Parts: sequence; C-alpha cells; structure tokens
Amino acid sequence: MSDVVIQTTNLSKELTSSLLRRKVRILSGLDLSVTRGETFGLIGPNGAGKTTSIKLMLGLMRPTEGKAQILGMPAGDKRALAKLGYLPENPYFYSHLTGREFLDFAGQLFGIESKQRRERAGELIKTVGLSEAADMQMRKYSKGMLQRLGIAQSLINNPELVFWDEPMSGLDPIGRRDVRQILLSLKEKGTTIFFNSHLLPDVNEVCDRVGVMFKGRMVVQEKVKNISGEGNYKDLEDFFLEVIAKAEADNGAAAATGTQSKEAVS
Amino acid sequence: MSESGRNNSVEAVIAIALNTFRETVRDRIIYALILFAAIVTVLGIILGSLSVGQDIRILKDIGLAAISLIGGIIAVFAGTNLVYKELERRTIYIIFTKPVSGWQFVLGKYIGLCLCVLVMVAAMGAFLSIIVAAVGSGFAGASFFDQLREITQELSLIYLELLFVTALATFFSTFSTPVMSVLFTLAIWLAGHLGESLLELGKLSQNPFLAQCLSLVFYSLPDFAGLTRIRGHLLYGTVPGTEVLTYLITYVLAYVLMLLVLAAIVTERKEFT
Ligand SMILES: Nc1ncnc2c1ncn2[C@@H]1O[C@H](COP(=O)(O)OP(=O)(O)OP(=O)(O)O)[C@@H](O)[C@H]1O
Ligand SMILES: [Mg+2]
Repeated sequence: MSDVVIQTTNLSKELTSSLLRRKVRILSGLDLSVTRGETFGLIGPNGAGKTTSIKLMLGLMRPTEGKAQILGMPAGDKRALAKLGYLPENPYFYSHLTGREFLDFAGQLFGIESKQRRERAGELIKTVGLSEAADMQMRKYSKGMLQRLGIAQSLINNPELVFWDEPMSGLDPIGRRDVRQILLSLKEKGTTIFFNSHLLPDVNEVCDRVGVMFKGRMVVQEKVKNISGEGNYKDLEDFFLEVIAKAEADNGAAAATGTQSKEAVS
Repeated sequence: MSESGRNNSVEAVIAIALNTFRETVRDRIIYALILFAAIVTVLGIILGSLSVGQDIRILKDIGLAAISLIGGIIAVFAGTNLVYKELERRTIYIIFTKPVSGWQFVLGKYIGLCLCVLVMVAAMGAFLSIIVAAVGSGFAGASFFDQLREITQELSLIYLELLFVTALATFFSTFSTPVMSVLFTLAIWLAGHLGESLLELGKLSQNPFLAQCLSLVFYSLPDFAGLTRIRGHLLYGTVPGTEVLTYLITYVLAYVLMLLVLAAIVTERKEFT
C-alpha cells in the first residue's frame, strides 16, 4: 500500500512587500509527494521556505500558483484537517489556560467526546513529560514546556498525518530524546510524518527521506539510506553542507548571467 | 483510526465561547472597572442624600448609567482585541488547522464575550439592587420587588444595546487593529446615540448633501437615543408597548446577525502569513 498522502505540484507563493510594492517569491515550484507511513524531513537554512511550505499545505496560506493535496483533498479542507496534527513553529498558546485545559480545548475543536478527551489528554501529558506542569497556567511555562504541550496538542485527535515545524527546538537533551521516541512510536503505528528541523542527527535517525530547501526551492530529495549508510557521505551534515554549497554556487552563477531574480541574490 | 468522525459544529462553537469567556474573566482589568462602577454608585448615594426624596431615582439613574458605561467599556475593549490577540499570538493557527470554520470561530468569540458581559452586568445589577434596597428601606413608595423588576427591565435594555456594541467590536476586530477598531466602534455607537438629532443637525446645516448623509446614518444605525428614551420612561414607571419593544429587539438582533455574517466572511477569506 503506497497511497500518496501529501502531494504538491508547482506549489509557489509570492508576497507583496508593502513598502516597495515589490513581489517577493518565497516558494518556487515545489513538487513533492509523500506516501502513507513515510517520515519526511525538510531541512534547509533559515528563511529557505520550510515553514511557508507547511503553511501552504495546511491552507493557512494560499498558493499564488500550483496546488497542494492532503489525504486526497485540497489543502485546508476540513475533512483532511480532522485527520491531521500540526505543531506550529515557536508555539505560544493561551496564557490564561492550564496545559490540561488547553489540550481539552484542542480536543473539543475536533468534536472528541469529553471522556475520550480527558483520557487522551492524560496519556499525552505523560508521553511528553509534562505531568508536573499540567495544571499550571501556561504563562508560567518555559519555552521547552510550551514546545512539549504543542506536540501533545498535535496528537490529541490520533492523527494519520502530522506536520511538525521544528519539533526539537527549545528542548533539553531529555526532551529531544523524548521527541525522538514519540516520532519513532508514531512511525511504528504507521503515521505519516512531515517535519522540519535544524538538528541533522535527529533527522538522520528518524527520517526515511529528506528534502533540502534553499531560497524557496527544493534542491534535492534523497532517501536517508542512500546518504549516510550506503552513500558517499560521512553523515547527513556532510551531505547538507555540500548540497548547500553547490546550490549557492549555482545561484551565484545564475545571478552573474542575470537569469535569477533580484531578491534571490540579496 | 481517527476519532474525529463526529460532527463538531456545535462543540467547536461552545469550546471557543467558553475559552473566550474564561480568558476575559481571568483578566484582572475587568475587576478594576467593576470597582470603579461600585465607587460611582456609592458616590451616587452621597449625591442622592443631598436631595432628599429623590434619592432612589437618582441613585438608580447613576447606578444604571455606570453599569451601561462599564459594560460598554468591557464590550468595546475586549471585543476589539478578540481576533487581534489570536492573530498576534498565532493561537489562530491552532484553531484554523483544526476542522473549524470562520463562522464557528466568530460565533464562538461573540457568544463568549456576550456571556462575559452578561455576567458582569448581572453582578453590577445585583450590587445596585442591594444598595437600592438598603437605602430605600427607610422610604415609602415602590416596594423592593417593584424596584428589582424595574432594574431588571432597565438592565435588559442596556444589555440589548451591549449585544450590538459587542457585535460591532467583533466585526471590526476581524480586519483592523485594536486602536482603529475602538475608534470605529465608539464612533458608530455614539452616532446611534445621537438619534434624531442627526436629522435636525442636517436641517440646521442647510447643506442638502450633508443632510442626506446624516439621515442615511440615522436610518442605517440602531436608534439608541430612542432606546435611552424608553429607559427614561421606565424609570418613571411607564412600561413601553410590546410593539416598540419587539421592533427594537428584532432590529438590533438582525443587525447583530448581519455584522457576524460579515465578520465570518472576512475571517474565512483571511490568509495567515
Ligand atoms: N509574513 C511574511 N512577510 C514577508 N516575508 C515573509 C513572511 N513570512 C515569511 N517570509 C519570508 O519568506 C521566506 C521563507 O520563510 P520561512 O519562514 O518559510 O523560512 P524557514 O525555512 O521556515 O526558516 P527558519 O529555519 O528560520 O524557520 C523568508 O525569506 C522570509 O523572510
Ligand atoms: Mg521556519
């Protein structure tokens, strides 16, 4: 069974910068397909367009060109949203709620019954290691605690597919290990995972496939086992640095011949 | 596999309403406002005792005015911040990546805030009734229950007006910054209070274009001056006819509905960059 869960074709996004009324292309022609049960890791320098890609796939942003299909439905379709989980970048939630109240709220938005909600929230609080802080108001949470809660809320509906935007950021080594374990156990259950991270050893450990983004373009997609295991590279970092160096060189050459748009150079 | 096959239409609205209610009542500023209302009422007592014989009416009048003002402030400030805060803190990402529609979000926010305003108005009303009972016990005249009935009737009309103000604030908050929303909301609320004086102002100006504009404003806004007049009559024991009341209530609620539908359309089309 290899049905396609995430499919994007020529997905592109332009923003109009309000100051100069100039169009800025922040994502160009993304073609991607992720199959059920696969773990896909998106890597790339800051500002490469990773968060933008996720937001387009979730329907938070609308594409200027191209399209994204999630679970066979257009991005943002309520039926697809019901079956997926999302962890935003730098999550920040309602400071007046306790962690447990927030998980309950998230569950309600899915229409999950109250008994089931409570059970699930209890389990998830344990899984992400928030037992002691669960009944504390979120304004007293540290960055890492918010991150853990963000992960918990993304799993409240037992999703088939998760989008995690930098799940390890702000976590201590134990938290990172916990998240790796959560990822692996989701994988075992057959959940499709799409995430981005700057922590290459973690990406290397859990992903089946990685994609490298650079200045709004997907420069390469490759199976992890072809990179560090049987591949020619020492590790994922080695691969990443070489890919980016090549992309930068190409970009520079293109700029020199004047075929590249201005904003890609600056 | 997924547990979310159920239809969540009503649940999501309730969840958002309760969350909004909780957020607003856990905000300490509200209690400062209410304390202020209490102080104004007590000041009213002192003023009232200066003009013997009139106290209860003056007291009620001042108390009710304070309640309507404080209720209005809560509605305007909490309302104009409603959507903005969710955008600012990006909590809205969490909501719109779950199966929740724009109308569910807007309706939930609105109901939650109205609930909060209701609780606040009721609490202040209870406080006013206690004071009226305590001060009024020494006087002949209307019984306590009559007083209570009158206060409740007055408060219901005040609340009707606040329902409109809250809808207005919610509507503006879906597309503009809090400061602008506050200005827009207050401007429209005030214009509604000018009522028929808008028409007279138009006549006085002797400028047909301005007169046209002002009468357009008058006919397109709820007539809060009329509402205030009815409240004035109530204070003197005249109960308004059901026809007038039905008309007012229907008008305001239809207006609220229209504002919420517009707010929902705006929200549904929003993009979160
Ligand atoms: N709201 C916005 N307005 C203007 N430009 C934006 C906006 N959001 C993103 N961008 C631009 O789009 C590009 C891609 O941003 P994006 O957030 O997708 O990067 P990213 O790969 O997630 O980076 P990071 O690793 O730092 O999270 C950046 O150049 C950024 O400046
Ligand atoms: Mg990012």
